Amino acid sequence: MTTRLSEDDIYRTSTQYRLWSYSPAQLAAQRKKTHELAIARARQNASKDGEQNGASDLEYLTEEEELQLVQRYCGNIRSVADHLKWPMNVKTTAVQYLKRFYLSNSCMTYPPKEIYKTALFLASKTEAIHITVPKFAASISADADAILAPEYKVMQALRFTLDVRQPFRGLKGALMELMNMAEGLMGTLSNTEQKTGKEVQAAMLALKLPPPGSKTPWKAPSGTLTPTHLNDRIRAAYDAARHLLDAPASLTDAYFLYTPSQILLAALHLSDEPLTSFYLDTKLPTTSPHRSKILSTIQSGAEMLASYNPKGMSKEERDALEKKLDRCRDPTTKDLIKSHAAMKRNGVEEGKLDEEKSKRRKLEREKSSKEMDDLFGPSLAGGKANGNG
Amino acid sequence: MAEHVAKSPALDVPPEPPAKRIKLSPQPKKQDADDSGPASPSATPLVADLAEQLDAQERNKYVKGKKLGSGQYADVFSAYLVTDPTQLVAIKKIKVGAEVKEMGISYDSLREIRFLQELDHPNIIKLYSVFSTKNQNLNLVLEQLPQGDLLKLIQDTQNISYTPADVKAWMLMLMRAVHFCHANFILHRDIKPNNLLIAANGEIKLADFGLARSFADPYQPMTYNTITIWYRPPELFFQAQFYGGAVDVWSCGAVFAELISRDVLFRAWPESEMNMVKLICEKVGTPTEENWPGVSKLKGYVTPTEIQPVRPKDYWLANFRTIGEIGVDLLMKMLTLDPKVRLSAEGVLKHEYWTSAPRPSKLEALPRKGGGIEVMGEDLKRRGGEVPGKENERGDKVARKIDFGAAK
Repeated sequence: MTTRLSEDDIYRTSTQYRLWSYSPAQLAAQRKKTHELAIARARQNASKDGEQNGASDLEYLTEEEELQLVQRYCGNIRSVADHLKWPMNVKTTAVQYLKRFYLSNSCMTYPPKEIYKTALFLASKTEAIHITVPKFAASISADADAILAPEYKVMQALRFTLDVRQPFRGLKGALMELMNMAEGLMGTLSNTEQKTGKEVQAAMLALKLPPPGSKTPWKAPSGTLTPTHLNDRIRAAYDAARHLLDAPASLTDAYFLYTPSQILLAALHLSDEPLTSFYLDTKLPTTSPHRSKILSTIQSGAEMLASYNPKGMSKEERDALEKKLDRCRDPTTKDLIKSHAAMKRNGVEEGKLDEEKSKRRKLEREKSSKEMDDLFGPSLAGGKANGNG
Repeated sequence: MAEHVAKSPALDVPPEPPAKRIKLSPQPKKQDADDSGPASPSATPLVADLAEQLDAQERNKYVKGKKLGSGQYADVFSAYLVTDPTQLVAIKKIKVGAEVKEMGISYDSLREIRFLQELDHPNIIKLYSVFSTKNQNLNLVLEQLPQGDLLKLIQDTQNISYTPADVKAWMLMLMRAVHFCHANFILHRDIKPNNLLIAANGEIKLADFGLARSFADPYQPMTYNTITIWYRPPELFFQAQFYGGAVDVWSCGAVFAELISRDVLFRAWPESEMNMVKLICEKVGTPTEENWPGVSKLKGYVTPTEIQPVRPKDYWLANFRTIGEIGVDLLMKMLTLDPKVRLSAEGVLKHEYWTSAPRPSKLEALPRKGGGIEVMGEDLKRRGGEVPGKENERGDKVARKIDFGAAK
């Protein structure tokens, strides 16, 4: 008995689908629960300290303020990643790590200031950038211990799932397909209206122009359209969509609410609607029972991406929020480095021998890598800290 | 073993029944008892956060038992479900080494966790859950595979005999696992007989994803220093940095040949890359522009002084006759020099070998008793690229020398 898995089936086995996909209501409920738990904890702390007059609820961060703070540090992750010239996938993964972290943790328990570098470092490891903690810390003038201390905490909040499915490769796939269609090289799939490659190309040349307000910068030239113009149109739509997949897709809740393919189609839709509708029609028969649902999902995804506001908070607002956080932050989690060290002490005592062993192993490794260099010449790229893995 | 259990602080899973182990469990009533002691004054918040609650829930699902194996990289324990003690699992507790100061949680463990969390297939070792313990050790809850590994069967020529139909059954399970990895855009990069564990029902399970990675984007370079040397394809010896599923298929081909002849196909000795290339030239043929267009442009390619033409089918038949002509055809296509011509995992599964006689053996007919549950302990405690056995015996020195933890 064999069953064939569709791409959808495979996606549904991913942790992103199983653990990190929500309906808007579920997502809101999850954040509310986390926020309430944090306030309960804060009140409990206050009464334990004997400060019966303790902080009033006014002084705690609101849910909205928590979201603003997280958003702000997602921005920080993105600028650090850009500063280090790390590729898009690392940046995207790190931002999702931080957003996922704050679904089960409150900023009042773990201020994002103390978490975001750890999220970025962890993402650099899962996305195969190779950099050591000391190097990473030095390059962003941070303290190495402060980066490592919350690492387990972050892993725990991520529920030990590290894979973030991203829409970039899918978008590139769409680009390649569209370009082949423009060249007249691709007929439609057998389940939609049958068209030859040439017919597809002709239909594409006859497409409506992108309506005003589209994100694509492409403007129709005067005179008749040629396949070369079509190529420009596709390229421009792709570039605009890719731009939307960067900040707007990654900083809104799109990853929690939509699949990568829905996100990329939403981005294409915003950049060049007629082109995207045409592309969908080549794959999705008008008779498909799922058609209206798929189209409305892409539409609502597009609205979410369009709603992204790059402005964020002003510096004053930010400072005020940070100050407020300082006043209401959970005192029991204040010294992550110290508690991390305490835990490690326990752990290391148990595994002291192993540490000696692994030190010895490290020495051996260094020695043998030198031997290897002698034998085969040094490794590529002269120890460049990124790229391969 | 017993003294180890006594020495470690109850190995983070105290022997009391689960109800008493409330440490971080979600019952709010017990919060006051939640005092973690002087060692970590601020480690345990009053109300455990949601993530901690979930972590504790996972941890409390299992009762840790006997230690099955202990290595530099991990300890492996037998364990069972609290709710159903007949449900056995293996818990792989990853050790914290000195490199933690440089790297934090190691690449090996992150890779293994990342990929196994995504892969759910009958021929891939199942990761049920991951939890952490208070000393910040990662614990991987894996399915228990009590019948040892394929290497044990291959090597036990005294007691174990098997048929071409058995080989076909094992290879089919292996190829399904590899195809599934590739369909999920994951390269395993360490396929070899001792990473193929055997379940109680005889199923093969691909294990050890410590060297795995997801397919790179075009033009994104990858390391060529990967895959245990005897199973490494020629393009990696020539330092190719852009490659795909074909590297795993070569390893599968080497396993196929090893299953048939019960000897490592490319057993370079001493284990140098140069000797490996020599062996591949001798047994398969010398890579040249004729049989592998573009090969001479690879950075590590050395222009050969003498050329062994690609071995014809007769040569392979002479050595692997037992799997028949069709089987040999498949073997040759898996061990094709040019990775662009080599079959993909899907291509392998579509080969007529699987549908021609003999039928693959039924699971219950496959030979067992490869070593028992302790072997699983031995298998899981290793780090990627290591080969079991005494130093220099069945070792692959170069693979072990290469620092995979810091591999580029």
